[in-house]
Amino acid sequence: MSQRKRVAHAGSQNRVPRVSRQVVLDEDDDGDASYTQPTSSQVQKARENYTPVQVDRKVAEVVQFILIKDQKKIPIRRTDIVKHVIKEYKALYQDIMKRADRIFEQVFGLKLVEIDAKNHIYILINKLQPVPGEPISMCPGNPKTGLLFVILSVIFMKGGTVKENVVWNTLKKLRVDVGEKHEEFGDVKKVVTEEFVRQKYLEYLRIPHTEPLEHEFRWGQRAEKEVSKMKVLEFVGELHSQEPQSWTQQYREATSGESSQR
Amino acid sequence: MSESRRRVSRGSQEESAAHTNGVGGRSRSERAADTGDEDEGAGPSGIHEEDDDPARRREIRSQYRDLINSVQQNREDMLNPANNKLIDVLEEANKLFANVRQAREAALDAQLLVLATDLGREKASQLHAEGSSFDPSAFAEHLLSFMGLNRLEEEEDDQEGLDGYLPPDAWQKLSKRAEHCFKTAPSFHYLLGSFLAEPPPPRQRVERQRKAPSKEAKRMMPTQLKKMEESHQEATEKEVERILGCLRSYYADDPESPISYYEFVVDPASFSRTVENIFHTSFLIRVSFVFVYLCPSPASPVEDGEIEPSGNATRHQCVISISPSTWKEIIEAFEIKQALIPTVQMLTQEG
Repeated sequence: MSQRKRVAHAGSQNRVPRVSRQVVLDEDDDGDASYTQPTSSQVQKARENYTPVQVDRKVAEVVQFILIKDQKKIPIRRTDIVKHVIKEYKALYQDIMKRADRIFEQVFGLKLVEIDAKNHIYILINKLQPVPGEPISMCPGNPKTGLLFVILSVIFMKGGTVKENVVWNTLKKLRVDVGEKHEEFGDVKKVVTEEFVRQKYLEYLRIPHTEPLEHEFRWGQRAEKEVSKMKVLEFVGELHSQEPQSWTQQYREATSGESSQR
Repeated sequence: MSESRRRVSRGSQEESAAHTNGVGGRSRSERAADTGDEDEGAGPSGIHEEDDDPARRREIRSQYRDLINSVQQNREDMLNPANNKLIDVLEEANKLFANVRQAREAALDAQLLVLATDLGREKASQLHAEGSSFDPSAFAEHLLSFMGLNRLEEEEDDQEGLDGYLPPDAWQKLSKRAEHCFKTAPSFHYLLGSFLAEPPPPRQRVERQRKAPSKEAKRMMPTQLKKMEESHQEATEKEVERILGCLRSYYADDPESPISYYEFVVDPASFSRTVENIFHTSFLIRVSFVFVYLCPSPASPVEDGEIEPSGNATRHQCVISISPSTWKEIIEAFEIKQALIPTVQMLTQEG
């Protein structure tokens, strides 16, 4: 309602030059208001309006947008894709995304996965299976991966939820003290509770009725899709010189996780 | 007065203990032991005078706090499935609660219950696990070994109880192994460079070609120059030697009479040859192979000198200048018909 008032003030249609104002308006809306499902007639009309070349270009722009957004491993919102890239081709959103999907799979070997069906948030994951003997990449390992692995594996082995103290104590034994600045990780608490949470690898939730305030950790939505519980269990087994099956509950969960991820 | 049986379950603690002023029995979700204490009915919910005794209430509160502390301090101990200490604590709490009349103490009771429940849950999970249990501390130890912890005692103990030190690539090593558990999409980066394979080879060829000629050219240059220099030197030396040879041969024929200088050097056919002869002869004079002396002659306007080979005479310097017109006059004056110093061509023709 306030939208219309402002648009009236602007005194013109929502054309491209007014995009900046439109952006401001959209930020007021929460959720997915900038994108609503178009009707089939709208879609048909849009298909006629734009040439295949134009649509090709849009698809390419979407692919590039997602690739760059993925650099920081922060999940991509559908609203952002629509707002910044697709814009006036909104009605063709489904077509464009379907083709972008295909390009990711066939050209890059990546999968565009929706991790939050309600808020329509996507991540890119690797479609290709790593070969066990070979290294994943030629790049030197990012130490944060190891840190994240430790936390994820503790959460998983402990049944899916742990109090934050369990994590901090485990890290302390690994000479990573949350209170001190770490050589490689810097402000560990910030990395774990902010960066990993923003990337949706972890969830850091308040436990109600705790005094002083305590939090618990769970696997984040990205981790559910990107991390293989079975592989985590296998590595944990290797470290303990035990068979993964010896942890029956976790093994059960890992096997069901494998089938759900495919 | 309500006898409330509260099921103690995970996370469902309410601080509504204030509402139940009465005594209630509790049952715990712990399977290991299930003792439900039922207290005998308590008095009405109204507060009696005796219930309001501050000293008694203080005592109850302090006992609760002791219980809470003991649970927090001895957490690990209580988790041990081998003992039933947790149950003892709960039984204590039950006894205390019998005397609780007001909200404040009941709140403490609730707090204790939250702690106990949490412990209970952990203990239960230990029992539920059909397989092995998971101990984060042991896990940490295994990780340290994997990361290559050097367990030698260090002199400096900055960390209490933590022996050894981690190598600098410890986390890298772990990360590399842990990567396999992730299906991370590689990050997009610009490839600084080009895949085009064609441009580079032609450049190389061009460079090589350019390099080759220049090298050869350079090599050519010195040799050419050398040759020229040699030829220059050789030419001069040879000429000088040749002229000396001529002179000697003439003197061999006629040892007594000197040769007129101008007759000797002048070539009637070529002015430039004449100049060259003068030039070459001057070398001989300089090194005192040839001796020129002046000889007065009434007939010629030009002072002439005569040439004799060698001799230790005092050195004089003399500058001879000649021009084409002078050259012609000399030819006429001396009636020079033929060059006494034969040219190289004449020699080759003759010989």
